[in-house]
Amino acid sequence: MTFTILFGTSLALLQNGLMVGAILLSLGLIGILSRRNLIVMFLSAELMLQGISVSLVAWSRYHGDFGGHVLVVFVLSVAACEAAIALVFVLQAFTRTGRLDSTAWQTLREATIDRSIDHEIPSLDTSLPNFPRLTPAGRSPTPDEQASAQRDHV
Amino acid sequence: MIPWNILFPETASFDFVAPGILLAVAVTCLAVSLYLLLPKSGRSSKTARRLGWLLGLITLSLFIITGQRLGNLGEEAAFLMVSLVAVVSAAATITCRSPVYAAIWFALCLAGVSGVLLVLGAQFLGVATIVVYAGAILVMFLFVLMLAQPTGLTTSDRITNEPMLSTVAGAVLLGLLSLSIGRLSAEEPLCCRPPSRAAALGGTAVNQRPNESIDLLASDQVARLGGELFGHHLVAVEAVGILLLVALIGAIAIVSNGLEGSQTEASSLQEGSQT
Repeated sequence: MTFTILFGTSLALLQNGLMVGAILLSLGLIGILSRRNLIVMFLSAELMLQGISVSLVAWSRYHGDFGGHVLVVFVLSVAACEAAIALVFVLQAFTRTGRLDSTAWQTLREATIDRSIDHEIPSLDTSLPNFPRLTPAGRSPTPDEQASAQRDHV
Repeated sequence: MIPWNILFPETASFDFVAPGILLAVAVTCLAVSLYLLLPKSGRSSKTARRLGWLLGLITLSLFIITGQRLGNLGEEAAFLMVSLVAVVSAAATITCRSPVYAAIWFALCLAGVSGVLLVLGAQFLGVATIVVYAGAILVMFLFVLMLAQPTGLTTSDRITNEPMLSTVAGAVLLGLLSLSIGRLSAEEPLCCRPPSRAAALGGTAVNQRPNESIDLLASDQVARLGGELFGHHLVAVEAVGILLLVALIGAIAIVSNGLEGSQTEASSLQEGSQT
């Protein structure tokens, strides 16, 4: 079979596959640590699972058995369960706070523990963008302060 | 064998540099470029973003240079293409501001990952990844996204939590992993050689020597995977079935509780407005 001849079993293929898996895993870690949107955080978690799947299949290819494949099947089904439960929780969180922002839940605590804010919600830079400068003509318009302060849904 | 020095003449000049140093430079470049590309408060300048793209390109080329040569141009090109698609779109998933675009980039990443799985010889899993992830899970994410955030970007999409610390954490993880991956060697250590599969199972002598007996690319690979799954791992399959059922019931229970709560709230609101 030409396909078999083309794709031989080798340590180099294992190392390349493991490297791709490691890159995907660390990208997912960066995403889940830094992003604040709950959906994007779960996408990053799925990205980490993808990295694990690639690594497992690479090992399975190297050892020449189906152990890694079987594990990836289980990873897929657990990921499906996790996605279902997680999306339900995201929907519940959204109906309570009206935001898909994880920082909105930073004061979540037990009743006996004091309230502490771990991370101040940083405010946006509300200054106007750099519009091209034209020659002034007429009087300058009065800017709408409310609109410039609440540019949430741009 | 491909004469790589002809195709990539610069690889010859990299010989005097240890591959560990190249990997360290690549990981650092990755961290800096992701830090520059992650959305930050205020308007990130165009120069920073361009520098991030440039550093990302440098990172990719360094990873390609330090990667192991597979010794076959077709294999090399196929693996390179699908893994580039996977990695680039994964980076775009976490740096994209709009969560809808992030989901779509994640779909492209899934396509790349399934390509990698196909190259690695997992035919069933490559197709199953597309069907299960891109067909079911991702569509579910997009539904929730459109239910919850129909107006577009909010402030939380344009700000990240601690981009510096998280990129450093990811870079440290990637550095450690690549260090241990580079140290893999073909010989099994004699001290801790794992018992053979036949001895571990204790059953009939399965004279399967790894690396030669099982052909992962045979045409009946899916059937043999099914046999393995429902033969040796039958209990685990049953357990996963129970897990899926529990997750389904749990999701329905939580959602219906929430729906009842919001319905009572809505009905009380309506009564309040009528009276």
